[in-house]
Amino acid sequence: MNYEFHWNTVFQHMPEMLMGAFVTLHVSVLSMLIGIVLAVLLAIVKMNNIKPFSYLATTWVEIARNTPALFQIYMAYFGLGALGIHLSPYIAVLSALVFVNTGYLVETFRGGFQSIPATQYHASKSLGMNSFQVYRYVILPQMFRRIYHPMTNQFVWSILMSSLGILVGMNELSGETQRLQSLSFRTLEYFIVAACLYYLITKLVLFSAGLASKKLFKGEI
Amino acid sequence: MKLLRNLAIAAATVTALSSSLVQADQLDTVIKRGTLNCGVVLDFPPMGYFDSNNQPAGFDVDYCNDLAEVMGVKSNVINLTWGDRIPSLISGKTDVVVGSTSDTLERAKSVGFTYPYFVFKFQVFTKPGVAVSTFDDLKNVKVGAALGTTYETEYLAYAEKMGWGKSNYTSFKSENDAYLGLYQGKVDAIISTNTNIATKLQTNEFKGYVAGPYVPNYDDVVGLIAKRDEVAWINYLNLFLVHQIRDGKMNDHYNKHFGSDVPADLIQSLRDNK
Repeated sequence: MNYEFHWNTVFQHMPEMLMGAFVTLHVSVLSMLIGIVLAVLLAIVKMNNIKPFSYLATTWVEIARNTPALFQIYMAYFGLGALGIHLSPYIAVLSALVFVNTGYLVETFRGGFQSIPATQYHASKSLGMNSFQVYRYVILPQMFRRIYHPMTNQFVWSILMSSLGILVGMNELSGETQRLQSLSFRTLEYFIVAACLYYLITKLVLFSAGLASKKLFKGEI
Repeated sequence: MKLLRNLAIAAATVTALSSSLVQADQLDTVIKRGTLNCGVVLDFPPMGYFDSNNQPAGFDVDYCNDLAEVMGVKSNVINLTWGDRIPSLISGKTDVVVGSTSDTLERAKSVGFTYPYFVFKFQVFTKPGVAVSTFDDLKNVKVGAALGTTYETEYLAYAEKMGWGKSNYTSFKSENDAYLGLYQGKVDAIISTNTNIATKLQTNEFKGYVAGPYVPNYDDVVGLIAKRDEVAWINYLNLFLVHQIRDGKMNDHYNKHFGSDVPADLIQSLRDNK
């Protein structure tokens, strides 16, 4: 390929790139944390068939898993905008990511819950625990241990999906990359650096999640 | 023996010549291929857009067709976003981009610019009831523009100079999305080009919207772009642009898309900026 790389322009704008990378990290970690909480609730509701919430859970999962994230982000921004509800790009992307993360995690968690024998639930009840205590002390710790790996997959996926934030003008890593490359047209250089940053963010998140799991699950994973 | 030696010399000469001929440049490539792959941003009326039959149309598209015609090849118009313009050249998907590309010196380190072929003004476009009479009034309203455009850069530079910060600013993925954002009320004002704003004002959606002040002290001089090292090709494109004015083609297209003859100051500006 007949192309001379000019790296110095990218290095000059490195602070802006890193700022974009921070926004990417920020939005995906937050969307994952909220997603986990919502997904646990929806999975419990769905498994125990608590109406009418189980209908909500089913609809949520069906839409989140069977439509593109791109469409969901666009709906959160311009779709709601048509109804007069104006979310900032950050909130629009965050809510779309929460929506899709929750949808996928509900099914993952449901699998995790079902892998735990129902006898444990009844045994805990017979020890005098209430439902909250059963989930808190018996079911959830085991469930999270089992679905830990699929959950980190979703985490990585959510970091990569946040790049769709560019669609609604969010200044995350992809958006910043696009803006900066238009100043100098050193497209390849910026894209290569952005790809490396995505790689680093993903590795960083996986590493931290690994550390957290060692602490939480006492190494039994 | 002499015959053999002469044959050998002849063969060597032919080989040397042909190896120097093998270096076909972009101009040859296009002529041999018989098709001109011409990139245009098709969400930027009246320069580039899809007409009611969903066919590419506009001032830039006409330029592509004219160029293909004078080269005696078929015209293949390729739809690009602002951000795709350079990747499409580098990856060889387009031979030339007629895409209102502002000719900054920073960008010229990366791609080859021709002479300017158009000069825009950047203008503020506001929804009804928003009071923006000078550019400085933008301080108090929510402003948007399309990502990766020169007017975005100009606005952000101005905002930084005046200490406005970025919190009032929203960027949109494309020109159409910026207008959609204004229409939905996500922003109070957008910055776009005077030509696009004039086109939008004629539609029902933007009735009552206001074309406001220009970006101060800024003429957006735009050129065609091609690969930087294709000097002969850029030479050809330069002559093509000169001929567009000399042969009256530019005036024809201007009439078709803007409804008047090319203003004398636009022609003068094109000549001044050569």
